[in-house]
Amino acid sequence: MDLIKNSEVFRKLSGIAGTINNSGIENLKKEGGKVAGYTCSFVPEELLIAAGFMPFRIRGTGSKSADLANDYFQAANICSMVRHCFNHILTGEYDFLDAAIIGGGCDANRHILDNWEKSDAKIPFLHRIFFPHATGDLMVEYFRNQLADMKAGIEKHFGIEVTDEKIWNAIKLCNEARDLQKELYSLRKADNPPITGAETVDVIVAGNSMPKEEYIADLKTLLNELKNTKVEDKNYKARLMIIGPCHDDTSMCDIIEGLGGITVTDLTCFGAKIIYGRVKDSGADPLQAIAEYQVQDRPFCPKNLGAHPIISKTVFENIKDYKVDGIIGQNMLCCDTWGGELYILNKELKEAGIPMLRIEREYIPDSLGQIQTRVQAFLETITGGTQ
Amino acid sequence: MIVGGCDLGSTTGKAAIMIDDKIYCGDIIPATTKPALTATMAMDSALKKAGLKSIDEIEYIIGTGYGRQKVPFASEDISEISCHGKGAYWALQSVRTIIDIGGQDCKAIAISDKGVVTQFEMNERCAAGTGRFFQVMAKVLTCGLEGIGSVSNISDNPVSISNQCSVFAESEVITLINDEKSIPDIITGINQSVAKRVVSLVRRVGIHDDVTLTGGCSKNLGLKKALENLLGTTIKPLPVDPQSIGAIGAAVFAKEKLLAKRAKELEVSSKE
Repeated sequence: MDLIKNSEVFRKLSGIAGTINNSGIENLKKEGGKVAGYTCSFVPEELLIAAGFMPFRIRGTGSKSADLANDYFQAANICSMVRHCFNHILTGEYDFLDAAIIGGGCDANRHILDNWEKSDAKIPFLHRIFFPHATGDLMVEYFRNQLADMKAGIEKHFGIEVTDEKIWNAIKLCNEARDLQKELYSLRKADNPPITGAETVDVIVAGNSMPKEEYIADLKTLLNELKNTKVEDKNYKARLMIIGPCHDDTSMCDIIEGLGGITVTDLTCFGAKIIYGRVKDSGADPLQAIAEYQVQDRPFCPKNLGAHPIISKTVFENIKDYKVDGIIGQNMLCCDTWGGELYILNKELKEAGIPMLRIEREYIPDSLGQIQTRVQAFLETITGGTQ
Repeated sequence: MIVGGCDLGSTTGKAAIMIDDKIYCGDIIPATTKPALTATMAMDSALKKAGLKSIDEIEYIIGTGYGRQKVPFASEDISEISCHGKGAYWALQSVRTIIDIGGQDCKAIAISDKGVVTQFEMNERCAAGTGRFFQVMAKVLTCGLEGIGSVSNISDNPVSISNQCSVFAESEVITLINDEKSIPDIITGINQSVAKRVVSLVRRVGIHDDVTLTGGCSKNLGLKKALENLLGTTIKPLPVDPQSIGAIGAAVFAKEKLLAKRAKELEVSSKE
């Protein structure tokens, strides 16, 4: 593991994941490049890249308070991730954005656009995209139309043409990044993975925060380093998998790994969910290909009716592939859809004899002492107190 | 063999020393602002009870509780959940379900017939269902924690406390006082309110006899009765101080760890 700490490319990616603005964005802007922010993994980066933007997934990294955002979000059931993201928008952290696409995946997320429009934080182009809350052909068609609206809106505002060829090229680029990210994940199947869970979070988060071509080059370098790393035997107490919504920080992995366990995989919205599968990269209609991927192939958000069977199937496959000893169900306070999903999964896992610990937390890590107690007790339960 | 355990909880520090199989518990020490000092005070008290002159006589010590990583003389630390399971099983081998209600949290712990924790549930961050809730209520009722836990304050006509939040429940109790409700009726209502909250945790791990109660709140007889009514079973008393169970469990773990360490050393030396 020490090798990765000394890896220059890892330090670069980790630095990008730990901040909002970064030197790559600053250089791009100096050269006249444009950046488009987006919320929710259902907003296709492919379409933003095809339109000439560098996509940046909006996060609340580094936020110390959501006081300004709280004046806008009066309802108590808006999660802290949305609040901290919007607070960053209000304090100017996202002033570098030229456009923003707000996903209407969940109601909390959708309100970012409502409040952005009302606020003094101005942005040249703001667009809302709705996601179907079900799967099936009709829903693919609906989402394809949403993508067409998004494309038309961008074309009209910026006076550009987003051709099919540009979209196909962007699809290929994003597929390449996903393939490399999956390769990184597969290294974690080893008994002694060359990369920890916390380090993986940083590498994946950086992928949505910098120019894609640069990220692909960096990831290739990192993979090469990791494959040539000789990893010593660590004798981990347990191999864990994290499941839940969009926590983008390393705190849970840090706790697990600080206590002698290791996170070997996940099913989270800043992790395995966004690197799943590939978008079809040829055919008659690239928007149809993106819609099929987002709606049919990876309906991993429990807001979707019919998502549970594929979530459950993927979880059980990962347990086998990554030799998982236990699951941490990490929910975000107020996220009822994931709360329900974790409840159902817990019952299924219990029947299968897989231990699961459910933890509800805020977006910015707090009450870490209590969480640490539970994780430590969970590890002790898995090992039977023998280690 | 002399081993020890030190439970640095959120409101008190406890220590236990095991000499062969006999346990010596120190006094319950109110937490100071310096965790290491609280741990030392608790262990000094246990040393006195055990008739030992110095901590150096103890061969292996396990730290547990919220401050487990701050116990300066511990060889290693183990979570209080595992220690309460281990300690309760050591004290009464028929125990399968442990309800631990401490100063800042409450836990339901299921253990196997070997005394190993199989499942647990813990309250989320708020003070509902914990000792802190009782402290707030005792202040409003000016009766002290002893009054809240006294058998003389158990009533057959309890009021209903609907708020789980200690802040809102405090307002509710103030209203009840101004409505001139009797103090035993209010206190029984408070104990029932906490018991309801705790029982929902216990149901998640399953209610398997024998059930026992540990932690500081185990001394609240009104709460014990309310829990028994809701659980539909008798809470088995332990033959040792239930507030020291975490420290006792830590000492039992210390003994197991020391034996394992010695066995490993013996194996290595026999190979050499």
